[in-house]
Amino acid sequence: MKVLLVEDDAALAEALAAALAEAGLLIESTTTGQEADFLVRTERYDAVILDLGLPDGDGTRWLSQWREDAIDLPVLVLTARERWSDKAAGFSAGADDYVVKPFETAEVLFRLRALVRRSHGHAHPVIRIGELTLDTHSGSVSLAGRPITLTAQESRLLSYLMHASPRIVSRAELVEHVYNRDHEPDSNVIDVQISRLRRKFGRARIETLRGQGYRLVDLEAEA
Amino acid sequence: MKGQNSQGRGPKGVPRHWQPRWVSRWGERLRLAPLGARLLVASLLLVIVLLPLAGVGLSYNFRQSATASFDTRLESLLNALLAGIQVDSIGQRLQLNRSLGDARFDRVYSGWYWQVSDGSDLTLTSRSLWDQRLPIPEHHSGLAVYEVEGPRDDDLRMIERDLHLPGRQDAIHVALAGSTAELNHEVERFERLLIVSLATFGVLLLAGLALQMRWGLAPLRRMSANLRAVEEGDIERLDTQLPVELKELALAMNGVLERDRRLIERGRAAAGNLAHALKTPVSVLKTLSERFPEAQRQPINTELARIDDAVRHHLARASAAGGVAFSGRVSIGDAIAPVVKGLARLAERRGIQFDTDIDPDAAARIDPQDIQELTGNLLENALRWADSRVSFRVSRVSQGVRLRIEDDGPGMTRAQGEAALARGVRLDVRGSGSGSGGSGLGLAIVEDLMMLYGGTLRLERAALGGLAADVWLPASPVSARIGDTASQPPAAD
Repeated sequence: MKVLLVEDDAALAEALAAALAEAGLLIESTTTGQEADFLVRTERYDAVILDLGLPDGDGTRWLSQWREDAIDLPVLVLTARERWSDKAAGFSAGADDYVVKPFETAEVLFRLRALVRRSHGHAHPVIRIGELTLDTHSGSVSLAGRPITLTAQESRLLSYLMHASPRIVSRAELVEHVYNRDHEPDSNVIDVQISRLRRKFGRARIETLRGQGYRLVDLEAEA
Repeated sequence: MKGQNSQGRGPKGVPRHWQPRWVSRWGERLRLAPLGARLLVASLLLVIVLLPLAGVGLSYNFRQSATASFDTRLESLLNALLAGIQVDSIGQRLQLNRSLGDARFDRVYSGWYWQVSDGSDLTLTSRSLWDQRLPIPEHHSGLAVYEVEGPRDDDLRMIERDLHLPGRQDAIHVALAGSTAELNHEVERFERLLIVSLATFGVLLLAGLALQMRWGLAPLRRMSANLRAVEEGDIERLDTQLPVELKELALAMNGVLERDRRLIERGRAAAGNLAHALKTPVSVLKTLSERFPEAQRQPINTELARIDDAVRHHLARASAAGGVAFSGRVSIGDAIAPVVKGLARLAERRGIQFDTDIDPDAAARIDPQDIQELTGNLLENALRWADSRVSFRVSRVSQGVRLRIEDDGPGMTRAQGEAALARGVRLDVRGSGSGSGGSGLGLAIVEDLMMLYGGTLRLERAALGGLAADVWLPASPVSARIGDTASQPPAAD
């Protein structure tokens, strides 16, 4: 899950980014609305964490601009203002959720995951594809009830495929959502990681569609 | 004044215990008597004291002047008597050679008498005296007036003169007396008339004074009604269309009200700024602390929670300070419009059907921010838990406004509802752990507001299947509750 963090307070941005990265998220940070605007329009993120008090204008201004331009990605607003008059303005601008400072990383994570899950059309916090389950709260994966251990990169890759399932996910999309833009992987890195996942779950669960991409297959439904 | 009382001292610094208790009690009562009563008592005292005094004075003067005129009559009769006295040249006897022309001197014991005597047996009397004699006091020269007792024990006023007749050695005493009954009668009649007149005058005077007071104090009454209206929040400022003395007072009070409002605004702003300035560093510390081992993290988090609680508490308190005192009646629909709009957008983004039914005439005396807070927290909870539907209804009920928010989410058991209402309990206790987090303060804030405004909050099963939050707000809260809720900071646990 790739998330853009827009926060002008350097200490908070650093601490939050570190904590979220530790939880397995891919975090890109920026301190200004201007840069956030550019990144949102050029990169692919699963969600944005937006602080409202930015040096170059109120966060809601940028947010409503994005919504007007049909940029529909989930936005979690971060603010010190907890009065409802402020919150209402944020929701009107198109925010999907609010976290009021001071917060715990767990809460931010919790809400982010819920937003991303919902944006993919999953109402329930546990995504099931056959016997393969992903608990979006904890990020844990299991197969037929047995927990499976994954690396952070593998976890991000599988999580994205599961969120997107049963849609076909192209290699380019995977690169955009699972890898940091500064460290774009060689094309065979994805192949290597996909084959590792196949070893852990069974080859047939990840289908390769030549020239199109990858898709998670619900083996139990097909059976 | 209060200071003096609290020190137990009288107006001049004399310790209270020198006075009997009833004196101080009455003194207190008089000091605090309403203006109208004071003026009425003062004029009543004036009427009760002054009118009788005036009556006594008038009556005395009337008696004096009536007596003087009585004396003048007696004197003129005496002069007529004197003129008619002759001495018989042959027998040296006194004679009256003409009548006084008043029949009363001839009617026996009529109360009108005359007598001429020389101190021995030589005496001439009016027929009315019959065999009685007027007592002649000791000798005086010239004219003298006496009060004497008549033959029938009646009170007489007697005028007497000594006369020296030619050829006679001794002076003769000529006395003429008239009954004072007539005089007294006249005075009494005057007094009766006087009493009736003065009583009538007194009653009319009191009525007039009462009317005058009513009219005179009317601006004060108007001002006090005005002040109540300010207190009730119906108007913002005192009307200054008043007599000049009160106008200045009203202007001064408006000044104070304005200053209070500004101070509260400034206090709110300052508390808000401080709170918001603190929140980011607290967030940083909180996030950083998560990297510490559990044993070190615990105390840090406890302290951070204390800071956070204090910030929230004082921010809420500053916001609530002016809430009841200065808020007028607001249309609920207008006040919550931005919140409803924002949440409708959120519902739309989440694909939840959000039905609203808001009575545009529903109004209550509540700070717009507070009603936004209340509605926002309850609606956000409903949206967070709803599967596909949330309904929101605002309606007018007896003496207040009712807000009902329903969702079709998992709902709450009774125990969960009670737990959720306890301060600080996180709302995510509600679901099966599939909740989406929350500060947990939502319902606690709603509860605080209910306490502040004297409303009620009920959590129950909704017709839609999930939770229903039912809020009743009085149209006019009890102002005595101001500050009750926020007097103690929450326990930092």
